[in-house]
Amino acid sequence: MADDRDPGAERFERYLEALLAGGRPSPEDVASGDEAEMARLAAEIAGAVSREDTNPDPAFIEQLRLRMRAADAGLEAVQVPPPLRQRMPIPGRSRRWRLSRRQLLQGGIGAAAGLAAGLVGVSLAPRSSEQVPTLGGDADLVTGDGFWQEVTRLSDLPVGAAARFSTVAFEGFVVNDGGEVRALSSVCTHMGCTLQYRPEWQDLRCPCHEASFDFSGKLANGRRTWRENPYRGDARAYPIQLPDLVRPRVKVEDGVILVWTAQA
Amino acid sequence: MSTVPGRFEQVYGEHVVGIYRFVYARVGNRPDAEDLTAQVFVRAVEQLDTTRERGQIAAWLYRVAQNAIADYWRAFYRLPVVGVDHVAPGWEPADDGVPRDTVPDERASVRVQTLLGGLPDRYRRVLELRFLQRLSVAETAQAMGISNGNAKVLQYRALRKAALIGDGADG
Repeated sequence: MADDRDPGAERFERYLEALLAGGRPSPEDVASGDEAEMARLAAEIAGAVSREDTNPDPAFIEQLRLRMRAADAGLEAVQVPPPLRQRMPIPGRSRRWRLSRRQLLQGGIGAAAGLAAGLVGVSLAPRSSEQVPTLGGDADLVTGDGFWQEVTRLSDLPVGAAARFSTVAFEGFVVNDGGEVRALSSVCTHMGCTLQYRPEWQDLRCPCHEASFDFSGKLANGRRTWRENPYRGDARAYPIQLPDLVRPRVKVEDGVILVWTAQA
Repeated sequence: MSTVPGRFEQVYGEHVVGIYRFVYARVGNRPDAEDLTAQVFVRAVEQLDTTRERGQIAAWLYRVAQNAIADYWRAFYRLPVVGVDHVAPGWEPADDGVPRDTVPDERASVRVQTLLGGLPDRYRRVLELRFLQRLSVAETAQAMGISNGNAKVLQYRALRKAALIGDGADG
């Protein structure tokens, strides 16, 4: 048998390794229709063997329930600011924002979590400070009423570091990307899980399905970029392309990092 | 979409575990099962008419789940993904609204046992070690007294053989 090695076996093994480890197998490791048939059979065998995974994770069920509840509620009555990129104040009205069902599904929960996190241990910068050039960030993301909120000191954010912050409207990270300071949402654009900073990879990692975002807010381990530049943190590509993380405005003033936050 | 407050959540509570298991039995791993389950209910909250009777709601949900699973596998077959809106041929639910293999646990394990039982000894053995006992390739190779490379090839051929048998059994 050593003389008639099957060349497909080595590669197909990567599919099986991922499947049997309880991870997410990739179609890239399956070369032909025959192998797809084998992969499907392997998945069925793996799925038939009683294991912990056979029953859903209660945390997953609960998280999805909350998403569904929010999506199903009367959305016009939602008074929680949506993610900054999608916010459109209704002129002449009280501070209410209209959200589509889909927008809420994509990010509303994260915004609500940010609101709930609230203002803890932060001080407010003067409302009408002179124009200071912002570093990074998308200057036109947020318009309308708001204020600059202090999140941390620049000296506490060395190159390659990330620090969590919360404002009334937002929960995120400020990151130091090779000297450029940027603010990024900490809400994964897949299912709204809260991203974790991984110092060793300098990325923001989703604990739910292993999506990694780089310090510019883009999916770092997606399939689209994988061919030219395989992601050093993972053995295989994340299978779905995800939108970028929301990036609020940020500036540094007297060594203090401030993030623009909308008024609640 | 619901007309009665809390109605959708009730539908969710009744069906989410069943849908997850249904999907899991067909993709065999947790991350994909969670993704597809979420996909089903995201579509349901947008489009499902929750005033319909229970059997019709179940039929609708399982149909969407079947389409999501079909799309999942289409990626493996290098076929274009058509979206969960389509109706996959040959996946018609039974008359009571719920597909016959909604509760796949027993049925699937019987089918898998039958499949394994129909394989030559060495093929069956390698699949049992890998899938039932969840041994690594190296451990499997050691248990069978063969090289790692041969264990991979043996496993590959065993699955290919089993896929052929499965095809025949399904018609």
